[in-house]
Amino acid sequence: MDVSSFMDGLSIALEPVNIMWIVIGGFLGTVVGMLPGLGPATAVAVLIPITFSMNPVSAIILMAAIYYGAMYGGSRSSILLNTPGDGSAIAATFDGYPMAQKGQAGPALAISAVASFIGGIIAVIGFVFLAVPLANFALKFGPAEYFLLMLLTLSAIVALSIGKMVKGFLAMMIGLALATVGIDTQTGVYRFTMGLPHFSDGIDFLIVIIGVYAIGEVLYNFLNIDQQKKEKKKVGKVWFTKDQWKRSKWPILRSGPIGFLIGVLPGAGGTIASMIGYTTQKQISKNPEEYGKGAVEGLAAPESSNNAASVGAMIPLLTMGIPGSGTTAVMLGALIMLGLRPGPLLFEQQPDTVWALINSMFIGNIALVIINILLVGVLVKILDTPAKVLYPIIVLLAFIGTYTLSYSTIDFFLLLVFGIFGLFLKVLDFPIAPLVLALIVGAEMEQNFRMAVLSSNGSLGIFFSSGVSITLLVLTILSLFYPLIIKLVKKRNDLEEDQMSKSS
Amino acid sequence: MKTIKMSIPVLLILFSIIFLIASFNLPKANLGNPNAPMYFPAGLSIIMLIFSVIYFFQELKNIHKENQYIRQILSGRTPKLIGFTLLFGAVYAFIFNPLGFLLSTIIYLGALLFYINGSNKWLVNIIVTISFSFISWYAFSELLGVSLP
Repeated sequence: MDVSSFMDGLSIALEPVNIMWIVIGGFLGTVVGMLPGLGPATAVAVLIPITFSMNPVSAIILMAAIYYGAMYGGSRSSILLNTPGDGSAIAATFDGYPMAQKGQAGPALAISAVASFIGGIIAVIGFVFLAVPLANFALKFGPAEYFLLMLLTLSAIVALSIGKMVKGFLAMMIGLALATVGIDTQTGVYRFTMGLPHFSDGIDFLIVIIGVYAIGEVLYNFLNIDQQKKEKKKVGKVWFTKDQWKRSKWPILRSGPIGFLIGVLPGAGGTIASMIGYTTQKQISKNPEEYGKGAVEGLAAPESSNNAASVGAMIPLLTMGIPGSGTTAVMLGALIMLGLRPGPLLFEQQPDTVWALINSMFIGNIALVIINILLVGVLVKILDTPAKVLYPIIVLLAFIGTYTLSYSTIDFFLLLVFGIFGLFLKVLDFPIAPLVLALIVGAEMEQNFRMAVLSSNGSLGIFFSSGVSITLLVLTILSLFYPLIIKLVKKRNDLEEDQMSKSS
Repeated sequence: MKTIKMSIPVLLILFSIIFLIASFNLPKANLGNPNAPMYFPAGLSIIMLIFSVIYFFQELKNIHKENQYIRQILSGRTPKLIGFTLLFGAVYAFIFNPLGFLLSTIIYLGALLFYINGSNKWLVNIIVTISFSFISWYAFSELLGVSLP
């Protein structure tokens, strides 16, 4: 670890203006992440315009704060309303909501905040030690390796949409197809612009992201807007007992590193991290029958794990420029807009930026645990705000955000088109992350593929020419067979259980 | 319901075919390999076509399986809510420049709130519309330096 860069980064992160952005971002992220149906990707997408007039360092600090703020926020509504803000907060409903029903909403909120905090800190420490070696390793990558890495990321994210892989592939293809619109940078040929000059630079992926995540999500939430019932919750004292802490501390410390490692993997994200955190904890527990009925360990483990994953997911984003999840894909889009090019060179050329971000995550996690414990009253009040008032505001923010991208109202129509597109993706149960990821890395994936083929005089052998590329290919194939393996394992377990129950 | 369910894979198959034809009709490059801009989209459309056909058969197999969301999207006031939100958005696009940010936003947000939240909550709607329009104008135009009409 480069100590002087670390210290420089710390001093930047501690600048009052950056502390202000960490607190604002963390709070805004918590609020948006808390709203039922809206998760971290929507939070970052809607709040992107705030970053456009900022310097890139403050912008990335703010976006990261919004991201992990939304992870904290997602579990507030899981615990209080049994409606997770997004996938990564689902596991928090298993034991968090039963705790709230038993009158332990306060301790549940406190444990969740502290678990998220510790998980986040464990992951930031992991980040400090893992990021630089990984960036140095990625420096050795050529176009062929980059293409294969992107292929692996895309296949992994598709493979993880278990049960709907075909839809995942189709979403990915649509994303890649959208990425081909515009001038081909290698030859200057106009592709699929339909004669419209507006499309020469391609379809702005941020419009697609804001359309699909913000407008699409709001339209989707209209499906049951009139059925959403208000549930008043008595929160009480937001702290936990000594016994609750004793039961939670090991699950928190165990799940943090697990979540971090899952976050680093391409394609996996907070949802899988929290589920694995939860099931691992349940499996090793002496009293698994208590899980799902308000066991504090069952809340602590996934909360630590999903927050650690959110920090871990920043590693492939910053070291290789490859986003591992929908939210980090949104962040990559925004960073490119700001002129920052995440990748291994970022660590060489702008170490201050990276280390300022890493240090801001330490400060951010401290700020968030304070926000989530001290301001719980305000947060619960915001949760009381009717969705019918909040959704129009989110739609308006999406429009303003779109306008700030190009100062053109033509994009408003594109936003609406992608909003309705996002709605149909949700209704037809298509995973959205492969589409967004493909759209963002698509252009570069194609360019890397062509550059690799060009450098080998048209031979595809370049993709099998190095140890790294062969490893990446094998991992891609393995990731595609992963759902099949899971299915077989499940079948075998079911058979064994059947036989056991018959014999008994 | 069955028609809607089957129309999606059919649309995807059509899209893949059109995309494939359009890829073959792309202009030739003057630099390097003249067909270079075509390979990636053409390959992509072929793979997309294969997956669309698989999706078609998957849906055909599950044709009797109910999709509750499609039912919800067509029932109650949901279609109207979605339709009017899109319509108001389109109107907002037309009035944004001529009326300026503040006035057009007040009209747009006000219309959305009155429609979604109901006119019986008129006081909340008016307060939220006016305060949020001014706050967003101040935040973006004054604090963040975004040039708004």
